[in-house]
Amino acid sequence: MKAIVSIENATKDYRLGKVVVNALRGVSIDVARGEFLSIAGPSGSGKTTLLTLIGCVDTPTTGTVEVAGRDTAKLSERELTSLRLNTIGFIFQSFNLVGVLDVFRNVELPLLLQRSLSAGERSKRVLSLLERVGLMEHVRHRPNELSGGQRQRVAIARALVTRPELVLADEPTANLDSVTGQNILDLRKELNRSEHSTFIFSTHDARVMSHASQIVRLADGKLAEGISTGPTVSELHEVSSAKA
Amino acid sequence: MAGFLDTFGVVAQIALRNLFASRWKTLIVGGIIGFGAFLVVLGTSLLDSVDRAMSRSIIGSIAGNIQVYSSESKDDLDVMGGFSFDANQIEPLQDFARVKRTLLSVPNVSKVVPMGINGALVLSGNTVDQALARLRETVNKQKAAPNDSALADAYASEKDHVRQIVSVLSGDVEKARKLHDEKAIAAEDISVMKRASAAEFWADFDADPFDHLEFLENRIAPLATDADMLFLRYVGTDPKAFAQSFDRLTIVDGQAIPEGKRGFLFSKYTYEEQAKLRTARAFDKIHDGLKVRGKKIKGDADLERIARECGNQAKELMLQLDAPKTRLFRDKLQAYLKSGESDVRKLLDQFLRLNDENFDSRHAFFYRELAPSLELYRVRIGDTLTIKAFTRSGYVQSANLKVYGTFAFKGLEKSPQAGAMNLMDLVSFRELYGFMTEDKQREISAMRAKSGAKEVKREDAEAELFGNAEASAPAPAAAAPDDLGTALSGLSRTGSARAASTAAYAADQLTSGVILNAAVLVHDDKKLPETIAAIEAAGKRDGLPLKAISWQKAAGLIGQFAVLMRVVLFTAVLIIFVVALVIINNALVMATLERVRELGTLRAIGAQRRFILSMLVLESMVVGLVFGALGTALGAALVLFLGHQGIPAANDVFMFFFSGPRLYPALSGQNLGIALGIVLIVSVISSFYPAFIAMRVSPREAMQSED
Ligand SMILES: Nc1ncnc2c1ncn2[C@@H]1O[C@H](COP(=O)(O)OP(=O)(O)OP(=O)(O)O)[C@@H](O)[C@H]1O
Ligand SMILES: [Mg+2]
Repeated sequence: MKAIVSIENATKDYRLGKVVVNALRGVSIDVARGEFLSIAGPSGSGKTTLLTLIGCVDTPTTGTVEVAGRDTAKLSERELTSLRLNTIGFIFQSFNLVGVLDVFRNVELPLLLQRSLSAGERSKRVLSLLERVGLMEHVRHRPNELSGGQRQRVAIARALVTRPELVLADEPTANLDSVTGQNILDLRKELNRSEHSTFIFSTHDARVMSHASQIVRLADGKLAEGISTGPTVSELHEVSSAKA
Repeated sequence: MAGFLDTFGVVAQIALRNLFASRWKTLIVGGIIGFGAFLVVLGTSLLDSVDRAMSRSIIGSIAGNIQVYSSESKDDLDVMGGFSFDANQIEPLQDFARVKRTLLSVPNVSKVVPMGINGALVLSGNTVDQALARLRETVNKQKAAPNDSALADAYASEKDHVRQIVSVLSGDVEKARKLHDEKAIAAEDISVMKRASAAEFWADFDADPFDHLEFLENRIAPLATDADMLFLRYVGTDPKAFAQSFDRLTIVDGQAIPEGKRGFLFSKYTYEEQAKLRTARAFDKIHDGLKVRGKKIKGDADLERIARECGNQAKELMLQLDAPKTRLFRDKLQAYLKSGESDVRKLLDQFLRLNDENFDSRHAFFYRELAPSLELYRVRIGDTLTIKAFTRSGYVQSANLKVYGTFAFKGLEKSPQAGAMNLMDLVSFRELYGFMTEDKQREISAMRAKSGAKEVKREDAEAELFGNAEASAPAPAAAAPDDLGTALSGLSRTGSARAASTAAYAADQLTSGVILNAAVLVHDDKKLPETIAAIEAAGKRDGLPLKAISWQKAAGLIGQFAVLMRVVLFTAVLIIFVVALVIINNALVMATLERVRELGTLRAIGAQRRFILSMLVLESMVVGLVFGALGTALGAALVLFLGHQGIPAANDVFMFFFSGPRLYPALSGQNLGIALGIVLIVSVISSFYPAFIAMRVSPREAMQSED
């Protein structure tokens, strides 16, 4: 089976006036369908940048990024948008909820943009997701009436609501307590099983990494070491020390 | 479809929530839009109403729906304006009967009124001349009947009056001499005055009244400057047809010009404005200002001026006072003013110093106690007015016309525009304009027979007149051409015998003969352009050089007023909306820049550019609709309120534009639609640029951290 994400020697430069920041310096990764890739790395190492390339929010400066078999650099603005809407669910590092809409509407938004479900179906899908992330009491709340963790859960629900093939998450459990964090991971597993979705999370959370089928490490815009499958011993050690 | 509605639902929801979230911006933008809509509704409604009212005024007072005149004319016809002495050069149409037949052959034409418009200066009401004339007449009569005691009394009283006049005038000259440079007053005037005021002059008067009268007539009368030039604009017409076609015409004083009679009708406005004593006019105007318009003299520039001028008008009253009236006025004014002053002039001066406190009482006193002893108008109803006008070819022609009364147009009583036109019979008009009438022709041939003058064609005569007025004295101009000086000598109160000979004319003279223009009334005023075309076509068919113009054109500048106001309104609206566009645009651009992250998120989630575009345009449209509707409703409410209450005409000029003392604006659905439409278009256009910016927001913006 062909990889759902295939990155070939991708670089990304940010130009700030005369200064050029090389956020990514030649990254190659293949992610097969149904995998759970975890991207680790210190702050500023390029995790978010890599996710934007995979998430079709941006295109690489050089190299190629293929998502669902399509070279993102060759797609039009419309096609990229449509790919984002229908294939990808993105959980932003700072959640990016629409402030003027309540929780329900925020989660429903991608479905409304898709225009494929009836109101009833939408409502069912949204509410069941909200239940899973434990926000049933906050359905009609606005984002600014929620805590950071609650907002993050809304963002997660919004990313999952279209049942995307590819779920990208930028530090999805950073603000969550361990129980909710575990809930998210369970939900991921379930979706992975039912929809055969692929997950790519950037994270510092060893527990998240422990669930990953593949972990890449970024350092200074490059893969720090070879692709590893499953958690390394030291990481497992980290997990146990985190638990302690 | 359901999908579309749902998407629209979320677009609307985001849009509305956003509007609500940035309340103050929405309110500013909405306020501007609402104000614009309000202004458009109010402006267009008022203009439409003024337009309608003015068309009623113009059509109903003289123009009719269509004016017809000769296409060979050098100038355009202007029935309302043209306050200058140079009448427009309008070529005559030779035979009204033919013109009328042609016009009535056009199906939409209902009535045709023959007309000619011209103006003349008329000198009126020199009290001194009149007093001297009366005295001279009495002296003449006394010669015939030396022992008549009634005549002796009249003689004494009239002599007293003249003496009083002389003392008033000499007082004036004395005052002027003190006030101004000594040199400003001719030494001769002073010596003349001295002689006339001297006791010896009056002691000798009885011995040789004619010699003394001559001196007074030639030397003193010219110094009295109370004589007034009346500039009368008049329309010569068939009085009966005119009254029938312009049914707002009402006779105010006296009666209509009887059928088949020559005569003159003052417009009430001109009569009041020009022929009334200045003091009485001042009382009227201030009374009107205080009572009708609710103003105060103090602080109102107009009324203050009128009151001040009134204070200097005692002389005009003094000249009317003979000995008994002088006594009467002294007694009444002394009692009223509680003054011991015995000089009537001083009493009058004091009485005429008007202010807000004393006005009501003095106004009442003036009309109750003083006016009955005064001649309030310099021309009385029933007098014969000698009008001397320049004919087309430039010589002076005169006609003695009986003043039958005054008229006004209902609702336009106080309008200077509608009131500028006086009425006379068409036959007299033709004479004054230099056209032959049958009567005149007969008169001329009689004169010619007497003087043995050779037959001269009119054209030749006019040519000769230009060359040498003296030589062509017996020309067909009938009444020998006067020089300008005598032309302006004006009103004759004793001319009734003279006028009687030409007072009647044959009926067919009105229905045929020369006219300058004709007013056409139509059945259906919505078909004016077609009717105008049909009239000109009928003219061509019948070999008549007819030019037809709408009432707007015929009314000249005044007719264009509504068009002008419309241009002004639309310019104002345009400016307001351009400014609104800029402000709204800026506000929306600012709002968009503040929302970059949200827009980027929407894009990153998968919203297409057109979603963003429709969202922003919808936001603007909602603001436009809501506030536009609010402004429109407010404007409509105000128009309805004004339509109920009426807008009072601020001054006499507005009476004409309002076609009455109040304008009652009406609301039309069309104006509401226009207002809403403009507002919507403006709000949508103003959202284009910000929407464009919003559309270009990259999904990358979603990745920016919140601060
Ligand atoms: N839009 C941008 N313009 C300029 N530089 C950028 C931009 N986004 C990221 N960078 C730079 O690129 C580098 C990688 O940033 P990135 O956000 O990918 O790091 P990260 O691994 O996600 O860090 P963290 O764990 O703190 O979120 C950093 O040096 C950052 O300053
Ligand atoms: Mg990051």
